[in-house]
Amino acid sequence: MTLEWVHPGLLLIFGAWALPVLKGRLRRHALLFLPAVALIACFRMTPGIYGQVHFLGQDLVFGRVDQLSLVFSYIFSIMTLLGIIYALHVKQVAQHVTALTYAGSALGVTFAGDLLSLLLFWELMAISSVLLLWLRRKPNAVKAGFRYLLIHLFGGLLLLAGIVVQWSQTGSIVFEDMEAFSWGPAWTLILLAFLINAAVPPLGAWLPDAYPEATVTGAVFMTAFTTKSSVYALIRGFAGTELLIWAGAIMAIYGVVYAVLENDARRLLAYHIISQVGYMVCGVGIGSSLALNGATAHAFAHILYKALLFMGAGAVLEMTHLRKLSDMGGLYRTMPITLGLYMVGAFAISAMPFFSGFVSKSMVVAAAAEAHLGWIFLMLTLASAGTFLHTGLKLPYYMFFGKDSGLRAEEPPKNMIVAMGLAALGCVLIGVFPELLYQHLPHSVYYVPYTLQHITSTLAMLGFTALGFFLLLKHLNPEPKISLDTDWFYRRGAEGAMKVIQGPLERLESRYVAEFYECLIKTPILGAANFLRNFDTRVVDSTMLGVGRLAQILSQALRITASGNAQHYGLMMAVAVLALCALLVIRSS
Amino acid sequence: MKLPKNFFRNQFRLAHLKFWFYIGLVFVAVGEIILPRLFHGAHGHFWFENLPGWGAIYGLFSCMVIIVVSKLIGKVFLLRREEYYDS
Repeated sequence: MTLEWVHPGLLLIFGAWALPVLKGRLRRHALLFLPAVALIACFRMTPGIYGQVHFLGQDLVFGRVDQLSLVFSYIFSIMTLLGIIYALHVKQVAQHVTALTYAGSALGVTFAGDLLSLLLFWELMAISSVLLLWLRRKPNAVKAGFRYLLIHLFGGLLLLAGIVVQWSQTGSIVFEDMEAFSWGPAWTLILLAFLINAAVPPLGAWLPDAYPEATVTGAVFMTAFTTKSSVYALIRGFAGTELLIWAGAIMAIYGVVYAVLENDARRLLAYHIISQVGYMVCGVGIGSSLALNGATAHAFAHILYKALLFMGAGAVLEMTHLRKLSDMGGLYRTMPITLGLYMVGAFAISAMPFFSGFVSKSMVVAAAAEAHLGWIFLMLTLASAGTFLHTGLKLPYYMFFGKDSGLRAEEPPKNMIVAMGLAALGCVLIGVFPELLYQHLPHSVYYVPYTLQHITSTLAMLGFTALGFFLLLKHLNPEPKISLDTDWFYRRGAEGAMKVIQGPLERLESRYVAEFYECLIKTPILGAANFLRNFDTRVVDSTMLGVGRLAQILSQALRITASGNAQHYGLMMAVAVLALCALLVIRSS
Repeated sequence: MKLPKNFFRNQFRLAHLKFWFYIGLVFVAVGEIILPRLFHGAHGHFWFENLPGWGAIYGLFSCMVIIVVSKLIGKVFLLRREEYYDS
């Protein structure tokens, strides 16, 4: 690897190992220093190919730096810094090491120019993020972690299988646009792996299953990296795949529907990740320059506001130890700063004018309109109203207002507020000065978000969504219930399926498999073993025994001669000399 | 019946808020219908975008549909008691 180029991901991954040996203030400084250096490294990078390693006859590229990977690396490294500030008060150093490893692997995915190094960081991301669940050290978190890990390892295996097929068919593992291999086995396997990580239903139930169980600070990291690095991979490899248009639009609505039913605050927000990633997946599917810019911009904006929302919900969880909306209410009295900053995130995700969502989400919607996709346009707009309904109205209403639960929780620690403040600042900056973001987008497209019609119709839409919310408020009261998602199939369905197939399986086993085993495997093997045993006892052992006996007899015979008595030896020598002389006389005569 | 403390003040504040909320709604609806036409005409890609008050109508419609349909799906298929997976 060249020295003039530092891989910011590896910097985080290896730098994190210095943390456990540091203590107190020094550790906190190192914690801030690492992501800050990574951030600077990303911003100083210029497009090019760096970090090439020759391996198994292939060139592994750890540093493919272009416009697309750069913009993702910016937001990933910004997010790492924000997440670390938010987690600065956490004493458990393992959480920091894990979080930095996780963030570093996301950066690794971003810069990976070939499929093998992509796989390496992909797997590292799964393993490090599951630790953010397990470090919560609650039974539910441990169980959810195992489910999360199984799904992601399955996804990783699909990716590996796809890579192997691609490698054997084309001889190349370069990670480029996959359109040429559409619907081939490699294309399908790799796409499936990406869709699992992007949480596209029905493969996405791991997300709302796992994220609400993560540690307060870990969840903030998790919202950013797994799904968005997958969006990056989709943009890179699968732009213009028509299937994704519908998958994305359905996804956007799917998340919103579940959010209506949800009572757990962080699970509600997790469903809105699915909904928002739906816009990005849809943008990737449309595939025009505007759509891909939209997907990229939306990923950028989304990471900031979603982290902010999770930080807000996490702050409430940290201070009250409550996670259900039905237990909260009236927190605005004592947590006004948290409320205010949360609302910035809520306005941003709802695409309120002058907040970041307004300038990013609308690009995808406009791209759908430009491609004359009327139904997609309507679906995305409907999901947009749903987003405001839940994150902008339902959640803050029941958490901070609503019926007074009597809770008087304090504001969270200062570092949490600082992180939330910075994220909120980012949301507003992008909303007010969209050029800050647009100039880094991969394609140069002319797009103006602030037209009079766009502003007025968005305001009217959000306003009347609020009207609908207040009209139907009494139907929205959160119920202390849970909703089933496709994780049911492996949490309960598998159990039921086992019960159903157990009987037939048992019969199949005892009647056929066991019989088959008996005559085809057990009998011949036992026979062979018997033969070998007999051979062993009769031939091998008796040979050994015979050799032993022979030696014994010989030595007994020798014992007579070897008496140890000098006279006997002298006598024998004399006899031998006489015998030799006799022999000579006889031969010569 | 004993009224909670500050009941009248809260009720007054609520009525006050409601009033301004409705005024605001009227403003954005009227603004949406009039402003774009006043300045540069309607520019929507689809015919329905240029209907007067499209955003307001579709916003209210979306909100209602999402709530009603989701609740229905939830009641019929998806909602379970909280201990469902624990047992």
